[in-house]
Amino acid sequence: MQKTLAFLLFLLFLSLHLQLRCEAAAINDDDDDLVENICKKTPFHDLCVATLHPISNSSTSNIKGLATSMANIVLVNATDTLHYIEGLIKQSSDPKQEKALAGCAELYISVVKYELPQAIEALGKGQYGFANYGISDAAKLVDQCEKGFSGTSESPLSDRNKLIHSLSQIAVAIINVLAKG
Amino acid sequence: MDTPNPSHATYYTPLPEQPSLDGIPAARRRPLKGFVVIFASIIFLVSLVGLILNQSQEPSTPSPMPNNDHKPSSQNEPFSQQMPRGVAEGVSAKSNPSAFDEEKVSYNWTNAMFSWQRTAYHFQPEKNWMNDPDGPLFHMGWYHLFYQYNPDSAVWGNITWGHAVSRDLIHWLYLPLALVPDHWYDINGVWTGSATRLPGGQIVMLYTGDTDESVQVQNLAYPANLSDPLLLDWVKYENNPVLVPPPGIETDEYRDPTTAWVGPNGKWRLTIGSRHNTTIGMALVYQTTNFTEFELLEGVLHAVPGTGMWECVDFYPVAINGSVGLDTSAGGPGIKHVLKASLDDTKIDHYAIGTYDPVNDTWTPDNPKEDVGIGLRVDYGRYYASKSFFDQYKKRRILWGWINETDTETDDLDKGWASVQTIPRAVLFDNKTGTNILQWPVEEIESLRYNSTEFEKILIEPGSIVPLDIGTATQLDIFAEFETELLASATEEEEEEAYNCSSGAVDRSTLGPFGLLVLADDSLSEFTPVFFRPTNSTNGTLTTYFCADETRSSLAPDVAKQVYGSSVPVLDDEKLSMRVLVDHSIVESFSQGGRRVITSRIYPTEAIYGAARLFLFNNATGVNVTATLKIWQLSSAFIHPFPLDQ
Repeated sequence: MQKTLAFLLFLLFLSLHLQLRCEAAAINDDDDDLVENICKKTPFHDLCVATLHPISNSSTSNIKGLATSMANIVLVNATDTLHYIEGLIKQSSDPKQEKALAGCAELYISVVKYELPQAIEALGKGQYGFANYGISDAAKLVDQCEKGFSGTSESPLSDRNKLIHSLSQIAVAIINVLAKG
Repeated sequence: MDTPNPSHATYYTPLPEQPSLDGIPAARRRPLKGFVVIFASIIFLVSLVGLILNQSQEPSTPSPMPNNDHKPSSQNEPFSQQMPRGVAEGVSAKSNPSAFDEEKVSYNWTNAMFSWQRTAYHFQPEKNWMNDPDGPLFHMGWYHLFYQYNPDSAVWGNITWGHAVSRDLIHWLYLPLALVPDHWYDINGVWTGSATRLPGGQIVMLYTGDTDESVQVQNLAYPANLSDPLLLDWVKYENNPVLVPPPGIETDEYRDPTTAWVGPNGKWRLTIGSRHNTTIGMALVYQTTNFTEFELLEGVLHAVPGTGMWECVDFYPVAINGSVGLDTSAGGPGIKHVLKASLDDTKIDHYAIGTYDPVNDTWTPDNPKEDVGIGLRVDYGRYYASKSFFDQYKKRRILWGWINETDTETDDLDKGWASVQTIPRAVLFDNKTGTNILQWPVEEIESLRYNSTEFEKILIEPGSIVPLDIGTATQLDIFAEFETELLASATEEEEEEAYNCSSGAVDRSTLGPFGLLVLADDSLSEFTPVFFRPTNSTNGTLTTYFCADETRSSLAPDVAKQVYGSSVPVLDDEKLSMRVLVDHSIVESFSQGGRRVITSRIYPTEAIYGAARLFLFNNATGVNVTATLKIWQLSSAFIHPFPLDQ
């Protein structure tokens, strides 16, 4: 009798545990589904998923949250790149490269100080047009930075510039989904 | 909406000798009844009048505009309804130089021709009338431009402040109107004004309002929300006006307050243009600590006899070493001050360089013979109401200028728009000559460039032209350098009288003219020469002139076709160089790095779209000309409304 009781309790615990696990998995699946659905609508699906998936939690469980997260990620990358550029300038021995780097620093300062923070604030207020304008503009400035190296030595910022450009395009695409929905 | 305050009549006393207030009550904005009567008689009288006046009209200078001092009875004469717009209201003439539209045969402009005239990368509203640039400033990453704007028509009137923003002074986004005429103190027009940025970030805007009694007063406005990067909404100070015409100043000759600057006693100063005894142009000075209460200083910042009313006064410091722009409050050693005025009587912007005494608040020109209004012009072409500001972001002094149309008012109404702004210019003191400023298009324009073509040492023999194969020739950034080589066969030149460009590009001499033909068609039925003409003056020195000749610019008879230009200093080690921005119906031409600038309005009928070409020409008789050029195509700036409503 006691063995049966113990076995039944065990089954009860097991089913409860499994149920909880299922529920937990269901929440994660919803988040992942959302990320997956949104990222399908961006030009860089894999990058989008790889970026948003690790940070998807309850605060990003809606599209606006994802858009804001992505915009913040662009800003973080841009800020980091700006510091990187400043470091490169200090070490630079090639005047042409230094000039291109200085040009990039100017552009990145503008992006980090004005474009992206204003876009993120506008996003928070639901001003999607303004937000998109700012993030698209940031992407253009990053392009300009990269172009500044054409004709001189290879750009030490290619990978970073390309990444930020792609992330910006993803952000804009997500905001477009927001604006329509 | 405020009801008019009857007690405001006590702030000033209309001067008894001013016919402009007492004698022309009929000269309101819409003299409808008079208009109908006059229009009926115009058809009979205008041909007679036009015949007489056409014969006496000088071809190369605009006929002087009637102003407020005109006899009151002129209102009843047949051509009073052709008085240029704005004059009766107390501002300078706002319609084109030829005041007699009706009797000139209006050209059969097609929609294609009109559409082509719209510029691709210059600032202009989507439609309707624009004039003076206002309150330019940089705030939270955005450049702001405000501008005199008529929301209802393509002619001057109902003046409000339009508003646009840009990240780079080139790609503009239209915003809603910033200020509209909705109080008694600006009900007849929200006119020109300037912004002052206070330490701590506050922005104050002072502007001229035309009151319900057509008196010019100065009003204060400020952003409703300073943390709004777009500065969409503006608040008018509850106790406007903050300034009214002082005793002795005509109530309609008191306008266009400048950006303020800080003096040694810590107080702000600003200047407002006016005139004394109708012919002495002058700049009044006020001091303030709070921008609501002002003290008029005795005396003036400066005055110049014979120059008439000073509109749109601008006053700013420049660094003598000519490397960066300066904040409006900058001063001390190594700094000179530029004083600029737009002359109401001639519609020309003049400036002079001199020294500012901040203790006495007076300014003295370096060269009294080239004082404000009698010496250098800001721009030697169609250009007016310019205003500068300090770009604290990139440390530049940036200059805006209003470019009116030179076609007819009828044309403007037909095409639905009038006026553009220049490309903003960075201003520096010319350290090499020490006597002028340099103006240069802001570097951000380079972002529009694509497809460059280079030409190395092209030879143009006397009396010949050379086509430049660059593709479409309506949106260009042209850099050209010229060298000349005297031919053995060159005849010794008779010493010439002063040339001064007026005889245009057909006036041949040994050493010139030579340069570019812009907006030309293959058959050269239309072309606009932009050129140099070195001339041996009577005392044996060489003077070089820089000119733009519009006389062959268009087959249309109803557009103005001036010859513009001036002598330009050329230093011993310098080649002759010009930079020309072509943008459909506007051409901005810069010589010797911006030492002399000419803005032209061109309205071709043939040399448009794919038919427009670019040539080199050499009309000299005794020199071979060698030209080296780099020419970029410029894309459109795609100026459009700000995406606000999403």
